Amino acid sequence: MRFLRYACVLLILVLLAGSVTPVYAQDYRFQVPDQAVVVYINTDGSINIDYTITFQNDPGAHAIDIVDIGLPNYQYELRNISADINGTAITKITNSDVVSPGISLYLQGDEIPAGGTGTVHAYIQNVKEVIYPGTQTESEPYASLVFSPNWYDSAYCHGTTNYQATLLLPAGIKDGEARYFVPQNWPSSDPPESKITNEGRIYYTWVSSQANSYTQYKFGASFPARYLADGAVVQKPYVPPTSSGSNKVNFNLNNLCPFIFCLGFAGFFVLIVYSATIGAKKRKLKYLPPKILLEGHGVKRGLTSVEAAVLMEQPMDKIFTMILFGLLKKNAAEVLNKDPLDIKSADPLPAGLYGYETDFLTAFAEKASAPRRKLLQTMMVNLIKSVGEKMKGFSRKETIAFYEDIMKRAWSQVESAATPEVKAQVYEEVMDWTMLDKKYEDRTQNVFSGPVIIPAPTWWWRYDPTFARPVAPISTAGGSVAPSIPSSGGRTVSMPTLPGSAFAASVVGSVSNFSSKVLGGLSGFTGGVTNVTNPPPPPSTYRSSGGGGGGGHSCACACACAGCACACAGGGR
Amino acid sequence: MNLFTRFSANKKTTPAVELPAAGVYHFLRQTPEEKSRLHLRIDQDGSGLLIINANRVFQLNPTAAAMMYLALNEIPEDQASKKLYKQFNAPKSAIAKDYADIQHQLTALISNEVCPICELDLETTMPFSSRPSAPYRMDLAITYRCNNACAHCYNARSRNYPELSTEDWIKILDRLWKIGIPHIVFTGGEPTLRDDLPDLIRHAEQNGQITGINTNGRKLKDKAYLQSLIDAGLDHVQITFESHLPEIHDLMVGHNGAWQETLEGLKNVLDSSLYLMTNTTMLTHNQASIPETLEFLGNLGLKTVGLNALIYSGRGAKVGTGLSEKELEPLLESAQKITSKYQQRLIWYTPTQYCNFDPVNLGLGVKGCTAALYNMCIEPDGAVIPCQSYYQSVGNLLQTSWEEIWDNDLCVSLRERHGLPEKCNDCTLLSECGGGCPLAAQMN
Repeated sequence: MRFLRYACVLLILVLLAGSVTPVYAQDYRFQVPDQAVVVYINTDGSINIDYTITFQNDPGAHAIDIVDIGLPNYQYELRNISADINGTAITKITNSDVVSPGISLYLQGDEIPAGGTGTVHAYIQNVKEVIYPGTQTESEPYASLVFSPNWYDSAYCHGTTNYQATLLLPAGIKDGEARYFVPQNWPSSDPPESKITNEGRIYYTWVSSQANSYTQYKFGASFPARYLADGAVVQKPYVPPTSSGSNKVNFNLNNLCPFIFCLGFAGFFVLIVYSATIGAKKRKLKYLPPKILLEGHGVKRGLTSVEAAVLMEQPMDKIFTMILFGLLKKNAAEVLNKDPLDIKSADPLPAGLYGYETDFLTAFAEKASAPRRKLLQTMMVNLIKSVGEKMKGFSRKETIAFYEDIMKRAWSQVESAATPEVKAQVYEEVMDWTMLDKKYEDRTQNVFSGPVIIPAPTWWWRYDPTFARPVAPISTAGGSVAPSIPSSGGRTVSMPTLPGSAFAASVVGSVSNFSSKVLGGLSGFTGGVTNVTNPPPPPSTYRSSGGGGGGGHSCACACACAGCACACAGGGR
Repeated sequence: MNLFTRFSANKKTTPAVELPAAGVYHFLRQTPEEKSRLHLRIDQDGSGLLIINANRVFQLNPTAAAMMYLALNEIPEDQASKKLYKQFNAPKSAIAKDYADIQHQLTALISNEVCPICELDLETTMPFSSRPSAPYRMDLAITYRCNNACAHCYNARSRNYPELSTEDWIKILDRLWKIGIPHIVFTGGEPTLRDDLPDLIRHAEQNGQITGINTNGRKLKDKAYLQSLIDAGLDHVQITFESHLPEIHDLMVGHNGAWQETLEGLKNVLDSSLYLMTNTTMLTHNQASIPETLEFLGNLGLKTVGLNALIYSGRGAKVGTGLSEKELEPLLESAQKITSKYQQRLIWYTPTQYCNFDPVNLGLGVKGCTAALYNMCIEPDGAVIPCQSYYQSVGNLLQTSWEEIWDNDLCVSLRERHGLPEKCNDCTLLSECGGGCPLAAQMN
């Protein structure tokens, strides 16, 4: 019975001492090209463990940031542990949350990157209660230690290891008194190297270049217990440690049987697996949703200011106002009445109008407000779809930045103009781009603030029915003298004038007029448009091969050929 | 069986689903209708590139790369989700849904019948914004010998330039595969003058690399020789065809009778299963005949034609027959109409300064210099140069580490577009234009 009990203790110690240490979560993948461990057996029955482990992290693997080392039990103190990585001291050493009992070495700034190599050295002193009575029949009581060095789950660790394990026995043991156990799972059948050190300590060293670090090896030795201090050999049976750190369970030694010990072994093993799972979860990678990117065509140039406004998701009343101003400037329409807004198309229409412009005029040919609104909604839906088509393959973000830059330059030209007259002329030229500015109302009023008189835009009479039509030479209704400004052709023409503030107020007010008087409220109108242009997302199905017209090859937004391997394939010979 | 061995045995029954280490992985997807070759390159940081048939490139974040690897290995959803759940801190349901999406996207991308942008709603980035760890394509100038003598040739080296042995080229192919380069183009000089070309093609194909040749096509008039290249696994051919008029072609390539042989070679390739495209350099010699040349190629049944301008390197730097960038536009407008008529794909190669010639406005796509970014070249002696025309070595692939080559100052300078003219600094088109061809800029 006693023999069986000790045999079980030994078995348990084997597992306990080495403890399975799945140090890394699943994303870790590495080799251990070299590992050396020296176990010093002290006369007080404690051991010092000296690990030197070289990790070679796989390319693409998670950086090795923490190294966990399993320990035989909880009879150790963190203050007795020192470690370094490539000679740099490791300052953060804690109890491991991955393997219990065990410790975590935080490499912190010295983590081993993917593809990198690093050597960790750990020295754990005074691990107590690890020497048990020997199990072999000897002429005197023997003490025994079976030690399994740290090993790793093969899910993380691969490759062979130049392996060296040494057991250094207490001093004074004479030749012939010490025994070594044939290592289990060890790839070599060669006997260990054994000598006596200058300090009179026998050691056994097992060496193999064909070992690995994902197999549990068991090395052991025994020697007469008298070389240890009294009480150094643990006489109580092995009790599996728990993750809480307590192994002080009250067992009645006399009632224990090998079966119970085996249950303890099972429980211990499950515990290790459990703690490894928890630890792995803690160290899982942060989940970023999968993202596939491709290089697009870049900036979509050549959009009109109206299209740019759609892209920038400007309010629809502003977009309509921009269209209206554009038509007036092109002499394609004339406002007959501002309230309610009534527009007359030019006849014939000038060439080169955009589709949205003719649609706009068509809508205003309808005099009843409800059908007109419907037509304007349709026009806006088509415009948004058209911009969407034009933007296929182009970068939306960069394109918006491009048009914002144009807008800023437009403002810069206006604001830097030297005189109110020149300001007005520049403003007329670039006002469609300035309207892309979210603050264009304020900026317009600021530009034309104060008691300044400016020449009216040449098309202003088409916008303001009360404004006199120009007749060359032009004079204003108030009879003031028209300023002379150089025209683009170098000629000098006389222009009607109006107060700058009135001009600004009229431009700015045109948007709100459009919103309230034509669209019948912006939100309702916009909702009618976006219900069509932004319908609820369809289920995530994909068009089957061959379905639908055209096919991907003809799609305008297919490969931009910038990121493609066909770029600059070296013709020209 | 004790508890320990029973646990181990149970563990061994778990399906072996592994996530990828860094490297390049080759997959073949074949249906009765078409064959696709896919390369998944995983970088050290876990991010990846999916390259479909060596010409469509998709960037993957680490999650997408891991999922794509499993999807390409056709790992069932439940097993893949389980594996990914161990890797990533996310609910299983979210992982399963995302993996299913990746599977669908992969199928759609391979089919090439679904627009990745408007139908798959993939995000786009700016052109040339990628910073890969290695090019997508390596051109191997395996010899500078040539049986033509183009007056405009960009080759700046002697025709007797030292050449590596077959064994060394095989070492280079293996090294390139290890680096993660999935696409090899054999060029020169005239690559068909190397007797070991079929062997090199075969080796690259065995590695998993896609192979092509840039040739004057004259040796391809020999059907048996062409068949030897096909048997070796060659994927695509680019033949230089300067004019439909024999006298102009022969004048430009400096060899009487070349036109006839090239045309025969071209027709032989057309009759084969190889992907074929032509390339025509637009010079003052053939400027007037370009439209008719394209008509000629259209009538032959060419599906893809390429055009480029003079490359200002080698003899090309001094020949004086180049067209100015502003002269290109009408020619290309005409080319577009003709190729559209024949339902051909028109590829425009030359990087230009967009302020002079904007290919995007012409619908030719974004064209910029991709030297030392998406492609590089290896000279006959193993020296790596930024592109086929930029004769400045950045190291020898047999002697220099890839990191040294890739991070060479010249490579970085080209990638990051250092040293551009001052006028480019405030240009809103700079990100796409990149200042045009650096060699042309140096000439100017």
